[in-house]
Amino acid sequence: MLKFILRRIGLLLLTMFLVSVIVFGVTEAAPGNIARNVLGAYITPEQEKSFLAQMGLDRPIYQRYLFWLVGNDWLARRRIGMPLKQIRTEKGFLEWWAVEPDGTLIRWKLEGENLIAIRKYADGRLEQQEDNGRWRVRAPAEELARLRELRGQVEGDARLLEEDRSALLGRLDVIIGVLESVTNEQEMLSALAGPEKELDAFIDPNATRLEEGLLGAAPELARDEIYEALVIYRNLSVGATVNIPPQQIANKMNRAAGVVAKIDPDLAEQLVNAQNAFQAGNVEVAMETLTPIMPALEAQSAGYIHFVDALQGADFFAAEQALREMADPEKTPLDSAHAALLGRQLGKAGGVLRKISPGFKALSEASTALTKGEVETARAKLLEAADHMAQVARNLHLTELARLAKVQRTFWGVDTNNRAVLWERGGTRVSWQMIEMGMRRIRGGAVEYLPLQRGLLRGDPGVSVRTYRPVGETLVLRLRNSLVLAAIAFVVVMPLALVLGLIAGLNEGKPIDRILSIFGLVTTVTPEFVSGIFLILIFAYWLKLVPGATVFGEKAPWERPDMLILPVATLTLAELGYVLRMTRASMSEVMRTPYIRTAFLKGLPYWRIVFKHAVRNALIAPITVIMLHVNWLVGGIVIVEAIFGYPGLGKYLLEAALFKDFNAIEAGAMVLVTLAVGTQLLADIAYTFLNPRIRYQ
Amino acid sequence: MTVREEAFPSAKPSFLERLRDSLLILWGSKTAMVGLTMVMFWIVVALLAPWVTKYSPTEQDWQAQNQGPSAQHWLGTDDAGRDIWSRLVYGARVILIQTPVTDKFSLPIGVAVWGVLLGLVVGSTLGLVGGYLGGWIDEIIMRLLDAMMAFPVILLYMIIIAAVGPSAINVVLAIAIVGTPGIARLVRSLTLDIRTREYIRAAEVRGEKLWYILFVEILPNASGPILIDAMLRLGYAIFAMGTLGFLGLGLPPPSPDWGSMVAKGRRFILAGSPWAALWPAVAIASLVVGLNLLADGLREETQRYR
Repeated sequence: MLKFILRRIGLLLLTMFLVSVIVFGVTEAAPGNIARNVLGAYITPEQEKSFLAQMGLDRPIYQRYLFWLVGNDWLARRRIGMPLKQIRTEKGFLEWWAVEPDGTLIRWKLEGENLIAIRKYADGRLEQQEDNGRWRVRAPAEELARLRELRGQVEGDARLLEEDRSALLGRLDVIIGVLESVTNEQEMLSALAGPEKELDAFIDPNATRLEEGLLGAAPELARDEIYEALVIYRNLSVGATVNIPPQQIANKMNRAAGVVAKIDPDLAEQLVNAQNAFQAGNVEVAMETLTPIMPALEAQSAGYIHFVDALQGADFFAAEQALREMADPEKTPLDSAHAALLGRQLGKAGGVLRKISPGFKALSEASTALTKGEVETARAKLLEAADHMAQVARNLHLTELARLAKVQRTFWGVDTNNRAVLWERGGTRVSWQMIEMGMRRIRGGAVEYLPLQRGLLRGDPGVSVRTYRPVGETLVLRLRNSLVLAAIAFVVVMPLALVLGLIAGLNEGKPIDRILSIFGLVTTVTPEFVSGIFLILIFAYWLKLVPGATVFGEKAPWERPDMLILPVATLTLAELGYVLRMTRASMSEVMRTPYIRTAFLKGLPYWRIVFKHAVRNALIAPITVIMLHVNWLVGGIVIVEAIFGYPGLGKYLLEAALFKDFNAIEAGAMVLVTLAVGTQLLADIAYTFLNPRIRYQ
Repeated sequence: MTVREEAFPSAKPSFLERLRDSLLILWGSKTAMVGLTMVMFWIVVALLAPWVTKYSPTEQDWQAQNQGPSAQHWLGTDDAGRDIWSRLVYGARVILIQTPVTDKFSLPIGVAVWGVLLGLVVGSTLGLVGGYLGGWIDEIIMRLLDAMMAFPVILLYMIIIAAVGPSAINVVLAIAIVGTPGIARLVRSLTLDIRTREYIRAAEVRGEKLWYILFVEILPNASGPILIDAMLRLGYAIFAMGTLGFLGLGLPPPSPDWGSMVAKGRRFILAGSPWAALWPAVAIASLVVGLNLLADGLREETQRYR
């Protein structure tokens, strides 16, 4: 017996392992990306990548599975070099902290280039202070190679002014010298302090803000009717996929036609033709219409197109060139057609860009001049704007080089979002940080993320990506709610079904048996949501006896017992027929056995035979089979919870599955598999006790 | 009764004779006849869909939302003013008659039927191979299927559809995947019995190939129980399609999907218009119950003759 139980438990573990691997694989293979579910459908590929890295989802699947199973705090502990601890806050969130030798909890955040330590003392006091002493030089040899390469780049960089170049090279030589000669890390850090301080002189403190501003303005400038139409045409003509519905493409063509209508009516007419073709979903015809006219349109607004393209690609030197192109009389005649189109576009660009850097007001002035027809003034103003753009571009470029010239420092620590993070100081990498209102673009910061978890085997199923709450706690609560529902239904179903089944079995073939059997069949095979709808219609809509939905607060499900009536009734209907038919079959079989016939022949009273001899044997099969029926019951509960909005495990899992909240799905699957296989084991054991003819070897 | 002839393979009845025999069996059972009537109603209506409906299933009439039954709309309209009868009929068509693959292309035979057929092919193959070969191959197949069986069906559906996205083909796959373990178990148990028969020994001695023994010798001899099981499975498949649709995992809107019609109509019950939820619920119940009555009656009758 013991051996049998052990073997079954072994099988249970094997099943759970297989199921968890399958769920992991299926969730991984899915195209519907979790990032899109969390952040919305309109995130850029860059943001998506950043988000996946921060969630630790960019790691290979076997590694993620391992972390999910056994956790990754041991790995993080090794990287950080401090013990880690998970604590629970008053609000019920779980937080990871590093522990200092004196027992103080500590974690870090990055502000600009400064590392800030957040300490939590035993009395719950929080304290923040700068903690730059923890930065380390990661790999001096690698840094040396990188800086040498950078030196070569600076030497050949035509975009730098001569004075800047020689000053930068001087500092670089000192830093390279330090890296070549000093090996002790402490000495190296103090020797680097001087030259690195001097590099700060090249760094424009406004650079980050300026760059972010310009990059943020690019999409705004791209929302130009002509530009949009051209981009769509460009993408379609090279066969790239355009993720805009045809209806919207048609609208965009229409707007572009509206803009060019006054300048070039023929062109506008062709655009309208294209619009109609897009509307009809006939992309080929639309492209045929567009092909002869778009190059002309592109040539007419060439300068602006190049300008926006350059800004979108963060190439500010190219943006400068585009402005010069607009000012060049040979490339851009600035005739009346240009005046109307370009005047509009420049006016918008000036309005947006002057907020970022006042020097760009020259663009607005150029626009005003153009609309007035003062071509020469407009050219002068465009050149002025180009000069300003050049200055901005050089500034940003120099800042970037100066940042790169510093020896990069790194630090492994715990951040405020429960991740072990590898921070880089002076890095030039761009990432997207999640904030409450979506994503914010930041520079520098973290290079590698390790979202901390203890792993399922150590009792931590992770955090829900949908609610940021620990899955384990929500699951326990929801499981309890579901079990209450199931238990009430069980208490109602069992006596009813057994009694009705016995009645049917005793009257085999008579009308009462036919009625009960057919009733059982109908209720069993009718989907739960259908019987649920019927019950709602009858009892909540027509008779208005009970509420047709459940709304529970904190104290669910005891708050409003009347709300439980219909969910329980639905479950009862679904389960009743199955048990009833089972009992009927078992009873009618027992009644045909020789020992019952003997009892009749002996002349025992009918009821005595039924209760004393038949019922006990007839109940063995249904009672054990019910245990095997748990999977079915679970399915029923999911549906019932979905119909009535009952806050149980099934609804939680449904929401998790729709959202691809993988931690929640995995944990839920584990719970359900344990339930299913566990009850099967119980059924088998119960069977051996009830039926002494069975022995397990 | 002619059915007894099956015991003597030499006197092979023709197809028509066998059809007549099965109809006679059906005629003998009231349950089966009631079931057959319910199923035939939906099959006929689905086949004749364009001729028995006045509206297209996606035609919206914003002047007539959430109406009760009337002369214009026999069963009323839903929240978008679409004719419920048309949607029910075309919904039955998707279940039984044709599977929409893309907007323009669709396969003959409905989603539920394809799901069962696919499950039958995969499940029978696994069951035949496991049952006939035995040994570690059988052990591996059975353990894998056990793992799938231990998995709550509904969660399996949810994960599969949530992973691959809702579409007719994916619903077919989900139904097939979920049905496979049960079919495999049934076929395996039948195979375990059949492989001990003399004619299998004879085939082995003749040196027949593995696939010949499995699909020509064993499978036809196991077909009776498999067919009755398949009819029950068709019921499950329609059950599952409805449930998936209800949970928002079925065919993508605006396809006429009975389950999602119920889910959508449910929101308007307590607002006073029960029709959009009632009719599709009645439709699902009638088709599923019909199929089960038919299978139940058939099983009872065939057992009585044995």
